[in-house]
Amino acid sequence: MTALSELTRPWAAMSYGFLDASAKREMRRKMLKAIAVPGCQMVYASREVPMARGWGTGGLQVTLTLVNPASVVKVIDQGADDSVNAVSIRKFLARVSGARETWDTLEATILQSRHRIPEELMREDQILVLQVPNPEPLRPVEPNMSVAREMHADADYGRLWLILYEQMVRSGRIMQGAAYPSLVNGRHVITPSPIPRWDVPKLHMAHHLTFLSAGREKRIFAVPPFTSVEPLVFSDVPYKVEEHGDLTCHRSGVKGYFMNEIPQDDGSSAFELSDSNLGIKAIQARDGEPVKIGETWYNSGAMQ
Amino acid sequence: MAYVATRGGESAIVQSERLYRAGLGAIDADRVAEVGSALPWLVDRVMGEASLYEPESAALALAQTGGDLYETVLLLRAWRTTQPRLAIAEPVLQENLFTHRRISAAFKDIPGGQILGPTLDYSHRILATSVLEGNPFMPEPVAPADEPAPARQPSLAAWQKAQGLVADPPREEVAPKDIPDLTREALLFPAPRAHVLQSLARADTGGVLTLGYSAMRGYGNAHPTVNELRLAEAEVCVRHPRGTVFSAGRVKVSQAEVAAKEAEGIRLGFAATLGWNEIKVISAATLDLNAPGAAKGSPVEEEFVLYHTEPVEASGFCIHFKLPHYVTFQSSLDAIRNAKTKDAVPAKPTPTAAKTKTRELEKEPAE
Amino acid sequence: MSATSEILPLDAPRLLTATPVLQMESVSRRFGDVVALEDVSATVYPGEVLGIMGESGSGKSTLLRLMNLEDSPDKGDYRLDIPGAAGNLFDLDRYGRRMLRARHIGIVYQNPHLGLLMRNSSSGNVAERLLIAGERRFSELRARAGDALAASEFPLERMDAPPIELSGGMQQRVQLAKAIALEPVLLLLDEPTTGLDVSVQALVLDTLKRLQRDRAITMVLVSHDLGVIRTMADRVMVMRRGRVVEEGLADQIFQDPQHEYTQALVHAKL
Repeated sequence: MTALSELTRPWAAMSYGFLDASAKREMRRKMLKAIAVPGCQMVYASREVPMARGWGTGGLQVTLTLVNPASVVKVIDQGADDSVNAVSIRKFLARVSGARETWDTLEATILQSRHRIPEELMREDQILVLQVPNPEPLRPVEPNMSVAREMHADADYGRLWLILYEQMVRSGRIMQGAAYPSLVNGRHVITPSPIPRWDVPKLHMAHHLTFLSAGREKRIFAVPPFTSVEPLVFSDVPYKVEEHGDLTCHRSGVKGYFMNEIPQDDGSSAFELSDSNLGIKAIQARDGEPVKIGETWYNSGAMQ
Repeated sequence: MAYVATRGGESAIVQSERLYRAGLGAIDADRVAEVGSALPWLVDRVMGEASLYEPESAALALAQTGGDLYETVLLLRAWRTTQPRLAIAEPVLQENLFTHRRISAAFKDIPGGQILGPTLDYSHRILATSVLEGNPFMPEPVAPADEPAPARQPSLAAWQKAQGLVADPPREEVAPKDIPDLTREALLFPAPRAHVLQSLARADTGGVLTLGYSAMRGYGNAHPTVNELRLAEAEVCVRHPRGTVFSAGRVKVSQAEVAAKEAEGIRLGFAATLGWNEIKVISAATLDLNAPGAAKGSPVEEEFVLYHTEPVEASGFCIHFKLPHYVTFQSSLDAIRNAKTKDAVPAKPTPTAAKTKTRELEKEPAE
Repeated sequence: MSATSEILPLDAPRLLTATPVLQMESVSRRFGDVVALEDVSATVYPGEVLGIMGESGSGKSTLLRLMNLEDSPDKGDYRLDIPGAAGNLFDLDRYGRRMLRARHIGIVYQNPHLGLLMRNSSSGNVAERLLIAGERRFSELRARAGDALAASEFPLERMDAPPIELSGGMQQRVQLAKAIALEPVLLLLDEPTTGLDVSVQALVLDTLKRLQRDRAITMVLVSHDLGVIRTMADRVMVMRRGRVVEEGLADQIFQDPQHEYTQALVHAKL
């Protein structure tokens, strides 16, 4: 006779990758749906995870579903690998999956990020997971989610364009900072999450797959590889990224990337690379250490 | 590596957590037991919001977080969601509840009688300062009633339905396993009845009180009368794979029905939750009463109420604003500076009135 | 058609040779037990103004809402002479209705809050229509919004003021500009001057008449105010309790009403 213990696995405090099998199955299905209809927000149950809502729980559920022991995981917050919450998420991922941690964009197979896309080009074999606080670009014109869903179904984006029109009338330029609303695959308008305008063109016809996941709001959407992502712009008012192309990082001496502004005591500002590990690699290269810096989306401050 | 040294995030977060936990000291089984026995009403509240009936785990979570309720609920929810669903219990019927307390404000007396049970409702709320002076507070013994109240009580609504005072809504016959489960699927609107009631059962007590109170004060359209309030214990009856139905134990539940008088008769709002929490079920039932027909965006409308009283989501989003937002800020700064260096010249006539403070326009998509 | 149809053709050859812009057949609409419309038919010819008059509760506003596809009847057929719009328009789904309304129908409501975003700029209210129709050049949006506002005799120096800061008459001009910005096939006017001062009302009516003359816009005008109908309408439909009691050329309706209800209305016996 078969002993019961032969039919079961020993008790464990948690499943591999924390989420249980039923949660992962649902995530996989919704991730596939999100890829199938680029930019369309898919609803998912969004389980509670051992982290507060709004702290990357949506991105975390995607990464936990994708991760396997051979994964190499990079987590950044505002561009930095050692930002407190990025550290917390990366440690958690390593703890529950056994995946290797890295700071190097080139090494990572899964990159989870809050508010930035790294400066080094991402490849077909990499997946970007963006944490999304508010998945709904229509929220400022329609706070009711049920109505907003209908508006997406109808591609009813007139009110969103009107925001841009009003900004032009009032300020003479588009005032939208981060989270610039963008049309995916010519059909659905998304918020690319609060990445700077600098990063939005990196999503357009990218080689890599991007998931955008909002845990608190229970919505996931995707930009598959080689998919168009066009910021909403008037045809006679060009899209403008932040004017960072001419700024120089005061630590690494590197120029032409998105910068953090550091106010100085004398009233001036210093700048440092927002992509912190690119900065570290640049310093290492300057000091003669062997280090590999990848191709970047921007060269000499201009998108290629 | 000077670049990194200035940041030092990794060790800082380790130490900050240690600092927090040092303040709480060692947590052992005795402390958990003490929390459980000293704070049963708090344990109940936490179990309701966590939608996990396990007093020992709830006490542990309270001990582990030092009583920060939102942290407590998150801890329990994150634990709960990883646990398998072993079985689905049989529906709980009002007349089968082991009832400790059951009152109605709608009638002076009701079939089965008004049963006060345990309550502080009529007590004088005087702080027992003598305890701090070394004189322990000893509760007076309870004198049993001459005739014990029956353990099971009929439902008042059943009597009202028989009288034709309350409409008996058509029953939807759904197999227990097909009842939509809010913990396994997202809330969408219009929400299935099951999702509404599950959502209210899990809702933040303070949140439903705030919105429920606003409805009671007049922001709703229906004024509640407590038709029936019940604190009880329910048998959790599950079916063995061989077919036998057996009780797996009892859980404390509270439920409230509130009534509004209308031309066609009495309309009821309902809520129930795990654990004993009267404020919560009365408020939640009031919101349930007010939701039908409420305008989109009104504080009693279903979507507004259910999205905004979810404790884990609301508290998480609130504290997420502590996270760095400097990239977003930098991006906006660039736009502001750029606009300042230029005249705001539209292609056509000067917008004299365009500088008016119209708040709506300050909104930006999806930050 | 009722007995009124035989008096229609008298001196209206222009109207009758053209294909109707709007044809509504046998429309009925009930709200619970209340009959709002019972077997109502209407035809509107290119360039004419059809006036619909009646007391409140006569069904005229329900009819206008149906013409704007904001509502569905219990039965009835509705057609507009628009390229590509075949079949009964009441069969269109939400999206089809929205697109048709956005591109081909303009409406001015009595209550400007229904028609305008009160805190956006006035020009933005007009531009939104153009944006929905796909205009993506900012300079064009400015120019075309300006043109539509100018045609509505709205003072251009205030084109970016939000409607909430404007007078009632100016708000109606913004609604009008929004309604005509895309040169609609049909302009619906729901008590457009009701509630305005008499002098302002006259000015707005002047603008409407000028627009109608210069651009030959086909209009349906609903009003309880006989003076407004008389000033504006080429043809008139008189409604009572959800039915059309009389229909004819405006002059004929006002000078020689046939139905006793119309006679009572015209002679202000009600």
